[in-house]
Amino acid sequence: MSAAAEVQRPPARLGNAFDDDLYGKSLDTRQILRLLKWMRPYRWQALAALVFVLTSAVCAVLAPTVLSRVLVDEIALKSHGPGLADLGQRTLNGWIAAQLGVAPLYAACVLYLIWILLRAGFTCAFGIALSRVVLNTLRDLRSDLFAHLERLPSSFYDRVAVGRVMTRIANDVETLFELFAGFGQLFGQFVPFFVAISIMLTLSPWLTLELLPILPVAGLFTWIFRRMSRPLYRIVRQSVSRLNENLQENLSGIEIVQLYGRERENYARYSAINRDNMTSLSRAFTIESFYGPLINSLSFIGLCIIVWGGGRLVLHSQITIGSLLLFTQFLDMLFQPIVAMGEQWNVVFRAMASGERILQALDWKAALHEPEHPLPLPDQLSGGVEFRHLTFGYSKDYPILRDVSFTIAPGERIAIVGPTGSGKSSLVRLLCRFYDVAPGQIFLDGVDIMDVRPADIRTRIGVVLQDFHIFSGSVYDNISLGNPSISREAAQRAARLVHADSFIRQLPQGYDTPLNERGRNLSHGQRQLLAFARVLAMNPEVLVLDEATASIDTETELVIQDALRTLTDGRTSIIIAHRLQTIKDAHRVIVLSDGSVREMGTHAELLARGGIYRTLHELQYQKVGEA
Amino acid sequence: MATMTKDGDRVSAADARIVPPPPLPQSRPGTRPLWRLFPLINEHPWMFWGGMALTCLGRGLEAGIPLFVRLGVNRIAAHNTALFGPIMGILGLVLARYVTVAFGRKYVRDVGVLVGSRIRERLYWHLEQQGPKFFTRFATGDLMARAINDLNLVRQLVSMGTRTVIVLGFSGFVAFLFMLALSAKLTLWLLPVMPFIAVGGFILSSHIFRQSLRVQEGFSTLSEMVQENLNGIRTIQTHAQEDREIARFAALSSGYADDYFRMTLLNTGLNAWMMALTGIATVIIMGYGGWSVLHGAMSVGTFTAFVLYLALIVAPLQQSGQMVSLFQRGASAAARLFEVLDYEPEIRDTPDAAPLEEVSGAITIQHLTYHYPRRTSGRDQRLSRATTVMAPEDGDGHAALTNVSLAIRPGEMIAILGRVGAGKSTLLRMMVRLLDPPPGTVYLDGRDIRLLPLEQVRSQIAFVPQDPILFADELGHNIAYDNPRRAMAEIRSVVEAADLEDTINSFPDGIRTLVGERGVTLSGGQKQRTSLARGLIRDTPVLLLDDCFSSVDTETEENILGRLKTLRGGRTTVLVSHRVSTARHADRILVLDEGRIREFGTHDELMAHNGTYAMFARVQGRRSEDDMARGVSFPGAGT
Repeated sequence: MSAAAEVQRPPARLGNAFDDDLYGKSLDTRQILRLLKWMRPYRWQALAALVFVLTSAVCAVLAPTVLSRVLVDEIALKSHGPGLADLGQRTLNGWIAAQLGVAPLYAACVLYLIWILLRAGFTCAFGIALSRVVLNTLRDLRSDLFAHLERLPSSFYDRVAVGRVMTRIANDVETLFELFAGFGQLFGQFVPFFVAISIMLTLSPWLTLELLPILPVAGLFTWIFRRMSRPLYRIVRQSVSRLNENLQENLSGIEIVQLYGRERENYARYSAINRDNMTSLSRAFTIESFYGPLINSLSFIGLCIIVWGGGRLVLHSQITIGSLLLFTQFLDMLFQPIVAMGEQWNVVFRAMASGERILQALDWKAALHEPEHPLPLPDQLSGGVEFRHLTFGYSKDYPILRDVSFTIAPGERIAIVGPTGSGKSSLVRLLCRFYDVAPGQIFLDGVDIMDVRPADIRTRIGVVLQDFHIFSGSVYDNISLGNPSISREAAQRAARLVHADSFIRQLPQGYDTPLNERGRNLSHGQRQLLAFARVLAMNPEVLVLDEATASIDTETELVIQDALRTLTDGRTSIIIAHRLQTIKDAHRVIVLSDGSVREMGTHAELLARGGIYRTLHELQYQKVGEA
Repeated sequence: MATMTKDGDRVSAADARIVPPPPLPQSRPGTRPLWRLFPLINEHPWMFWGGMALTCLGRGLEAGIPLFVRLGVNRIAAHNTALFGPIMGILGLVLARYVTVAFGRKYVRDVGVLVGSRIRERLYWHLEQQGPKFFTRFATGDLMARAINDLNLVRQLVSMGTRTVIVLGFSGFVAFLFMLALSAKLTLWLLPVMPFIAVGGFILSSHIFRQSLRVQEGFSTLSEMVQENLNGIRTIQTHAQEDREIARFAALSSGYADDYFRMTLLNTGLNAWMMALTGIATVIIMGYGGWSVLHGAMSVGTFTAFVLYLALIVAPLQQSGQMVSLFQRGASAAARLFEVLDYEPEIRDTPDAAPLEEVSGAITIQHLTYHYPRRTSGRDQRLSRATTVMAPEDGDGHAALTNVSLAIRPGEMIAILGRVGAGKSTLLRMMVRLLDPPPGTVYLDGRDIRLLPLEQVRSQIAFVPQDPILFADELGHNIAYDNPRRAMAEIRSVVEAADLEDTINSFPDGIRTLVGERGVTLSGGQKQRTSLARGLIRDTPVLLLDDCFSSVDTETEENILGRLKTLRGGRTTVLVSHRVSTARHADRILVLDEGRIREFGTHDELMAHNGTYAMFARVQGRRSEDDMARGVSFPGAGT
């Protein structure tokens, strides 16, 4: 099925928002620069980290210098060749020996120890500063990304799998940590690299020149191996994200999977992707296994060159044995950055892909129009609503609403009825500004809602959604939704109104009972009552119920209706329902069918007219009335 | 009547060929998570031990290199120009080392990949078997975090960690031996440093373990919050709660960064400690070696070789900090994975489960009593988040169902009515063992449902839940979800039965229309009907419909119910509804109240009984009747 699905898949409607190729193809410096913006507040800490790493690099170079130049050359071999680069270590050593009154040998040991301990200290300080900077940066980036995604119009999520978005905030940001930390490490290794090369050049330009050709060779090998492994890693990344999507969907629909006996089939599909992943990963690792030791071998070849070329220079007294030893010690510093770069390469590309996905998520603009100069809504809404020539569809070729116009007087109770898919919920979503209203207009108290900030509208209009969500947290949290202005008393009052109070009190901890993800420990009807209570607790000026009582029994519904009658007295309310007894209380009924208003009028008028409404009505009546 | 043999098309031939992943090897209870990985690694003994042996051999060859360097340096010091020998020696060793090390690494890494993907597949299968208790304890975001991050850490541990520890340990040991051979005294001088290294590693490692557990838990919490927020985005935005949620996330994200920082502090500290000790070891060699050279007890060449060996010993020491943290992170990841993997699925086949030859669809329930969940404390007390969760286990909470007994005859259509929370869904869910009923309470064709293979229960009883969850796939694939190889004609016929034809025809891609991401947005009623079609297509002896018409308008519902009766002729159907007009279609009607059977009988009987059902009917019917009368006799009234 998946193969067929691939072929059939229409071009993504979000443009390239979900490019499947977003798996790190190239190094984009602009992207890195853009990500670095989040580091700006911590630039001084970053600078401190830089100072620490430089200091530690200097210490890293000085320690072997003490060993080779002072200990071996001066103390052991007693060669006091002039002009030998020792970075002042011999002088320093002499001074220490004089101060401590010990033999130069022990002074050299002390000096060496000082450098090593300083190096350890500064490396540690660097690690701490670096991780603080990176963690702070990523913390901010993650929070900003979350804020951005949280504020995206919910219509955006109509078509975007939550799993995909989730991994961007969670895993992609995590990968960036590796990138930043890796760059820090790399930096920490490049500094000694240059210091070592410059010292080597002063010691013996000739020997250094003999050694240097190894570096481009190492670079070449790195390049070749990376070219070989890069497509493999791309496959690995793709398969990993497919694995995650599959798992995520399987988990959210686990009951359906089990009920419909799809465990084996789904497992087989997952396993097939896993095999892809395994094969490519194994191939990439094989390349990796041949690459790493090769670079190491090159450093041993460097050792040969030093012994061979350097040995002759020593024989000709052009350099000292100490210098030779120093060369061998610096060899590591020369190769370390290349080895590290080879190791980081994969991380860098993975992180580039992650960075790209994060930036892309930050750039997602599901264009929900925000007015430039938002108009305020009146302090007290009278609640008049007008829909004017409203046409709307989730995609262009499939309109849901066609030229809908009607007016709701302030304080009026309106019922909207119609067959499934007739556009009732869309009407409500437009009123709450989940989508842009165009073509057509909606007026609230005479103000075009496109001129008002969406959030302003939503705080004034209370909607019981058809697809409401219960969060993990206590019952009380789910009614107040964390809004501190809703007291426990207010929450309980709202719960009593919708007849939820009695079942809540029967829960083990009453209003403090923790609910699971999606409220799995409540029945569907109970969840719906909570969602209802949550809206009533807001005490909204306009009340919209989108099938708010669909899963609620007649008895409870009767109680709620009585409560609603008083509650909606003088308060504009729009009620979408299928059950006619719910509708009966409305001042007027609007019948929607195929996205157009077909009938409009009072309950009695519509019955008398003998149209769609009457047919719907008779169906329910007949069946029950026959008794 | 469907039989198990006829049922062959559900567990299709292709399905049967799919072999579930074998369980992971068992360890004695109480074995530490890290050691539990060992039997997994040992499933590939040749690759792993061969790889290890090769890498060790490579390290042995590497340890020979300084010997030739010593030879060379001594010759240089003695003004001997015969350097060709030592150079060729070095080159030969380098080549041999390269081949052995490369192959060794490859094999060990492959073991890591194999172990990782073995755990991954088993984890997936394991998750598919879990029931409500499990998913109450582990949220989706948490499970995702474990399956992604923790699995990666474990793979890294096997690929790199085991190799590193053995190889570095080995090369340290080999270098030590070579040094011992060169100068025993000098080597012994190094011994006092060793305990400090061990102690530092030991003390910090348990801290690192705990801290990395905290970090990984923190990551889970982040994932959970993002997952929940995005799923409920519409609700959050409707209530204009975005800012509060953003602040909550920022706090969580901060806490995570701080935890992570503390872990880095530990790692960095350990590294610095090792670096300092390494320096001290070097100083000892310098002092003693320098003294020996000065007193002519050691050649400059030997000293040089010593310094080179030191690098061999020192490198493992310096990296031991990183190794400890790699191991501890891997260990905590393994602990988190095993926590999930050890969770026995609560609903399983009993050992003596045997399938029924033929299922006629008679359901008998005897004295079924089931209690609402009692409070159980959840996982990790380490994190200061709300840890108490509800677990649906038999507890001392109040009863969801009390002493329910009823007999549903094969082919009957039963409607269940009752108030919110009356136990309607619970009863239905027990019939398909989404919740396990107590033993000896629910029977299918006279056999305790708990003694039937789960596979048969689920294949003979189709359940359409309240929440119409669809997958991001084509409509047709969603409908034929139980068996992707169903014929188009079958799909067409249930599409018709669920009154979806017009809806589907209005889509440009028809039955191949994608739903969800990159597809169309279905209305609540359309989703419910698709979900219904998915249940109908299975054509099972028993069909359970859990209030799955709530968002469907009456007219459509009437159409569907009419077709359902013919379609289901002779087979059992149980449906939950709130509408009397729906219940009217049923042969018998059951009214549940607070978990007890209030009324049970035909429509006429219940109407005559004049109880709750009659009241429902009056409320739903009278109003219509009244209005009808008013509407007809006073046209235009109420204007």
